[in-house]
Amino acid sequence: MVVLKEEETLSLAEDTVNFAVKKGADEAEVFIYQGLTTAVAIERGQIAKSSRIIDQGLGVRAIVNSAAGFAYTNVLGDKGALEETALKALKSAKASKPDNDWKGLPPKKPFQHVKNTFDKSVLELSADDLVKIASIMLEAAEKTDKRVFPIEGGVGASYLSRAVANSNGVLGFDFGTVVECSLATIAREKGEVTPVCFEFNVERNYKVDPEWVGKEAARLAVSALKAKGVETKNMKVVLAHFALQQLLYYTLMNAVKADYVQRNQSAFQGKIGEKVASETVTIYDDGLLGGGLHTWKFDGEGVPQQKTLIIDKGVLRGFIYDNYTARKEGKESTGNASRAGYLSTPNVEPTNFHFIPGKKSPQELINEIDEGLLVYSIQGAHSSNPASGEFSVVASPALKIENGEIAHATMGVMLAGNVFQVIKNVSALANNERKIGPLVAPWILVENVKVIGK
Amino acid sequence: MPWGINLKDILAKVVDTATQKFDAEYAEIRAQKLFKTMLTLKEERVEAAKEGIENGAALRVLIDGAWGFASVGTFNLETLTSALSDACKMAKAASSKLKTPIKLAKGKAFEDKVLSKPRKNPSQISIEDKIATTSAMAKTILSYDRRVRSCTIDYLDLVGTSYFMNNEGAYIEQDKLYVWSRITATAKEAEILTFSREEIGSTAGYEVFDTETPEIVGAKVAERAVDQLKAKAPKGGKFKAVLGPNVVGVFVHEAFGHLAEADLTLSGSVLMDKFGKKIASDIITLYDDGTVEGAFGSFKYDDEGVPAQKTLLVKDGVVVGLMHNRETASKFNAQPTGNARAEDFRVEPIIRMRNTFMEPKDYSFEELVEDIKFGYYFKSFRGGQANLDGTFQVGVQEAYEIVKGEVGEPVRNASISGNTLETLYKVDAVGKDFELSPGRCGKGQTAFVCDGGPHIRVKEVIVGGSA
Repeated sequence: MVVLKEEETLSLAEDTVNFAVKKGADEAEVFIYQGLTTAVAIERGQIAKSSRIIDQGLGVRAIVNSAAGFAYTNVLGDKGALEETALKALKSAKASKPDNDWKGLPPKKPFQHVKNTFDKSVLELSADDLVKIASIMLEAAEKTDKRVFPIEGGVGASYLSRAVANSNGVLGFDFGTVVECSLATIAREKGEVTPVCFEFNVERNYKVDPEWVGKEAARLAVSALKAKGVETKNMKVVLAHFALQQLLYYTLMNAVKADYVQRNQSAFQGKIGEKVASETVTIYDDGLLGGGLHTWKFDGEGVPQQKTLIIDKGVLRGFIYDNYTARKEGKESTGNASRAGYLSTPNVEPTNFHFIPGKKSPQELINEIDEGLLVYSIQGAHSSNPASGEFSVVASPALKIENGEIAHATMGVMLAGNVFQVIKNVSALANNERKIGPLVAPWILVENVKVIGK
Repeated sequence: MPWGINLKDILAKVVDTATQKFDAEYAEIRAQKLFKTMLTLKEERVEAAKEGIENGAALRVLIDGAWGFASVGTFNLETLTSALSDACKMAKAASSKLKTPIKLAKGKAFEDKVLSKPRKNPSQISIEDKIATTSAMAKTILSYDRRVRSCTIDYLDLVGTSYFMNNEGAYIEQDKLYVWSRITATAKEAEILTFSREEIGSTAGYEVFDTETPEIVGAKVAERAVDQLKAKAPKGGKFKAVLGPNVVGVFVHEAFGHLAEADLTLSGSVLMDKFGKKIASDIITLYDDGTVEGAFGSFKYDDEGVPAQKTLLVKDGVVVGLMHNRETASKFNAQPTGNARAEDFRVEPIIRMRNTFMEPKDYSFEELVEDIKFGYYFKSFRGGQANLDGTFQVGVQEAYEIVKGEVGEPVRNASISGNTLETLYKVDAVGKDFELSPGRCGKGQTAFVCDGGPHIRVKEVIVGGSA
């Protein structure tokens, strides 16, 4: 099937930039995205579905009189369609009002070298290979315990490429692979149904462990059986990877975006140099992290990605910027312009939001807790107040910890508080770092969280 | 371009090849031509006016009882045939480990052409006008009160046509038209930051802004953000509550609706063994309705070519229906309900809700509130989520205390939770008003939906408050 090669992609990008400039754009930029995904899906205990999806397209940003217009198309085979897209971007720009903060597209800068972002063997995985991987995962789950029912999941292998060109001479092409397997399970016993329990493994290289994913998804479901209520009180809470990602995604990760800070939407506004978290917390946004899910040579507008210090031992040190927000403050972009493929203009987003892990094993973390809660996942994190960081969510699945050991599963438990207080109350981080979406982090232990139960 | 003429022939060739060359038991092709216009305003600045074309086709085949799916961004016959070959290979690979072959419920194959008839077609409104409408909204918000610090307005309109053909003789050309906007504002005073949002959504046309005018919507969003500044934190624990139509809607959608999507029912949702049984108090009747004129979740045919209908889910507290696609309908020996929806040509259709709501009864708002000594009035939601075990959570952006039968002071950042079935039994009064709100639902794909109902009273919900 049609895969765009590097030279082809770059010349499409350059030609379209030149066309836009010729037609009257003061500046122009083209972003081309291509994604090929082969996947098999597990549904209700069996592999019954498989798919191959090819998506590619081109987006043009044209600037006229300090106003930006954007247009995109997924019709790439036709020069006329590309030129029409450039003209639409111009038309949109002309319909907008000048923006006094517009200081130009990014200049050309050398790209960084990135590691472990492409693995040829991922490309070579056939549908039959993926079915094999999925059945290893499925069987591992089923063998673990009879009460477990794998409800959905799958295995996918993707090739992604991105190219950018702009009228300042920026020109880049990068490509990579992603392979993932995931499984959601429930366990059933005597009329009791557990919440959905989920495990996954996603990597840039072909280094996933489907058997581990299957076993873990099953083990978690079994541990969620025989659930009991808990008392309403403040206690220690261990946030496992997925729960931590959910809680931070809508709050902390927004608060460090320059866009939110500049627009009075961040609780961190004016707090650079201040202590905003516990001393145990150090966070980098690391766009160059080896094998990171969001590691690329350059960001969505052709700025080299980099490693940016956000919080150093609890002290707020920096924010993340795209070109626009950086220029507005007379700074340089941190390479955090993100794109939704070819469909969107750049947005400030974290790359690999990396919590530096601690030394304790997850087991040691639990062993030191007299009374607490181990929270695997959260329901309703997206309903947190994105500005203030206040949240009120259901912890599910969550296990009660008593005297240093897992005592029982819980039901109907809510957590309420403020994320910015939560990061101040982190007392330890485990050593079990993982990649999950934009987050790279271990389990964290938080003191004094309001738990609402019976 | 004469696509309209050629496209049907191309689709027919691909479907024929699927059955004749690849022995597909079932084959369908969905082609789409979509045009989108999008705006993002941050305060009064238009970040970028955006326009896009998304054309493509999705192929789905059933071979040896397993699904194969492929999608490509072109209508070129050669590429489509190669994608078909991919889909068939994928199906064969998937069938190798199959335990229970997939079967589809039989149904009438429709041939139809569905045209949208907007009073104001968004594709004929200039980008300048769209910028003017959203800018007026931003102006209203920012000038409402000096404590309003920011606003973000997203605008989207989507127009186009989808073409559906299968090997059973169905051929449907159906216009698509959606107008949507999300409006958010933040306010700040001292160290307190508040956040407020509204959504507008319609399948009727750009005329939605004639009733949801920039001034009305802008003022509503700004007023809430400002009022929240003086709100206090709710108490945590179990309380009596009155839920507004907007919160009832998200409760019906999240807490009950997802459990009644037949794929999730089969996956083991708590409704699995409840069909025909009582699960709620007598006063509860719930529908999922794809036929509400102009509503954000309405359409004529779903993405399997099945006509949308008004589906009764719960009648007087008893589960009487589920939402089906052809695959789950076959499993349950039921009729498909027209709930199979795909976000676009890149993805396959799955069971989705349309306009989901509770039927009104006879209480006035005053009657619902008057007997409550202390409780909460949850008026407008921020988000919600449910789990197969029946645990739901609804985050609330606007809520008030109820003290001695009267609505009192505002509270902020509350959320409610509980077990769906227990909570449905605890509904002890249903109001006589009715309101539907547009929204977007995520289930791997995004679907445009509405949900709503009347005000209701609940004897007890868990309130996740920090005070």
